[in-house]
Amino acid sequence: MLRATLTDDTFYLNLGPQHPSTHGVLHLLLRLDGERIVECEPIIGYSHRGHEHMAQQRTLSQFLPNTGRMDYLAALMYNHAYCLAVERACGIAVPPRAEYIRVICAELNRIGSHLLWFGAYLLDLGGITPFLYAFDDREDLLAVLGEITGSRLTYNYCRFGGVARDLNQAFCDGLEAFIPKMRRRLADYHTLVSKNIIFINRTRGIGVVDADTALAAGFSGPCLRASGVDYDVRRAEPYSLYPELDFEIPTGQNGDCFDRFMVRLQEIEQSLRIVEQALERLPEGEVKAPAPQHPTPDPGDYLFTYESARGRVGIYLVSGGGRVPLRMKWQVPSFNNLSVLPSLLPGTLVADTIAILGSIDVVMPEIDR
Amino acid sequence: MHELKRLLDDRCGSLSWQEAEPALCGYSHTIWLEVERLRCLARVLADSGLVLEFITAVDRGHGLELVYFFSRPAAGWRLKVALRTAEGQPAPSICDIYPVANWQEREVFDMFGQRFDGHPDLKRILLPADADFHPLRHDFQAGEQHDGDHFDLERD
Repeated sequence: MLRATLTDDTFYLNLGPQHPSTHGVLHLLLRLDGERIVECEPIIGYSHRGHEHMAQQRTLSQFLPNTGRMDYLAALMYNHAYCLAVERACGIAVPPRAEYIRVICAELNRIGSHLLWFGAYLLDLGGITPFLYAFDDREDLLAVLGEITGSRLTYNYCRFGGVARDLNQAFCDGLEAFIPKMRRRLADYHTLVSKNIIFINRTRGIGVVDADTALAAGFSGPCLRASGVDYDVRRAEPYSLYPELDFEIPTGQNGDCFDRFMVRLQEIEQSLRIVEQALERLPEGEVKAPAPQHPTPDPGDYLFTYESARGRVGIYLVSGGGRVPLRMKWQVPSFNNLSVLPSLLPGTLVADTIAILGSIDVVMPEIDR
Repeated sequence: MHELKRLLDDRCGSLSWQEAEPALCGYSHTIWLEVERLRCLARVLADSGLVLEFITAVDRGHGLELVYFFSRPAAGWRLKVALRTAEGQPAPSICDIYPVANWQEREVFDMFGQRFDGHPDLKRILLPADADFHPLRHDFQAGEQHDGDHFDLERD
């Protein structure tokens, strides 16, 4: 579409697909007038592996490891979402202890995802130090999670009816040290970044999305909340333990890059609160209830929604009554969040493109599936 | 909800609402309708402040079932709108009413070959532009012919 309008004085810039600040293989074809963007066309699909097609070729249990490979930064959350979806459709009960462990792990995963985003975003904007801080904290977190999950990135820890193994002493000790350290570091982050005038000038008033635009564009997660809409699936359609837990939904007002940044940092604090509460109330008991090896939902369709680090994940499962589903659609938050770029970018500077794209927090393998 | 029902009946003619069990299947009602009435329905829903969550399709081997999920986010209330299209029959695009439908319709086109009338730029979104198949269709068989070297990566 863009090529057809080529004239001598237009400048085209291919941002990506191999560019560090495109966070994976995203290709933005930009038409420029000087430094300003006239038109932007995102080209996606470089990491399309056909997860939805794979889901139609195997049983629900066989698909479980795939879930952690879509949004690889929120693998535990995708695990959790998928297990909750299948358990609800098939009527599988989960022991309370297992559900507490899952929530602890999912929220730690959310912190880890936000930490990586925080570091990478500041790196995009030219600040190296926060990246080193964030990865140091994330390393502690990965070590803690590794104690029970056995992996660092593409977790496959949840099972239908529970989790793979119980908490151990090393996990509890590690977490006890991590939570206060993370709180101290959060204060440092605000001192180092949130009050930094260079950072504020790069992000305040940049990439503004108002609430109506955000809703019409299908935004969800921190991007939507930064525009002032307090929509969080954990509140709107509570699942798991969230109705019992005390936490706040941070929102912004201006819907700019700075607000999206602040919302995520505040979410780290809220996730820490959730983890603390869950640890405090952690009941004794089993961590895995018996479940069929290949759960089979009754014929019909089932939609389950979940709040992942980037927004609402929708798992739409259509069963014909067999072990292998007829259809499994994964509605992923970054897909809609990214689709706003063609209307958001025109008129902005190339340097702001990086600030805007980073603030949306896209994970390309999640979008491409 | 009753107000929305009345509004829809007024502007789009009477529709059949089927109740569903939200605690099991995640939505409260299903509306089955004909292709021609989709745009009218989408306008009323947009005017009433419902958001479009996503569009997808299900291929059971006899035409496509297009599925649209609309919701009122704050209330946690969700509506499923479904319609059937025969082989090769286009559906109306609603991306002028809901901007989010733009990429969603492209994905349905890419995966199922469903055409949307009135879409400004209906082309593949996840698969390469020269792919000659729609992988989520009922009759699609994955095989060697769809491996990477099938595509001309040097193509302009």
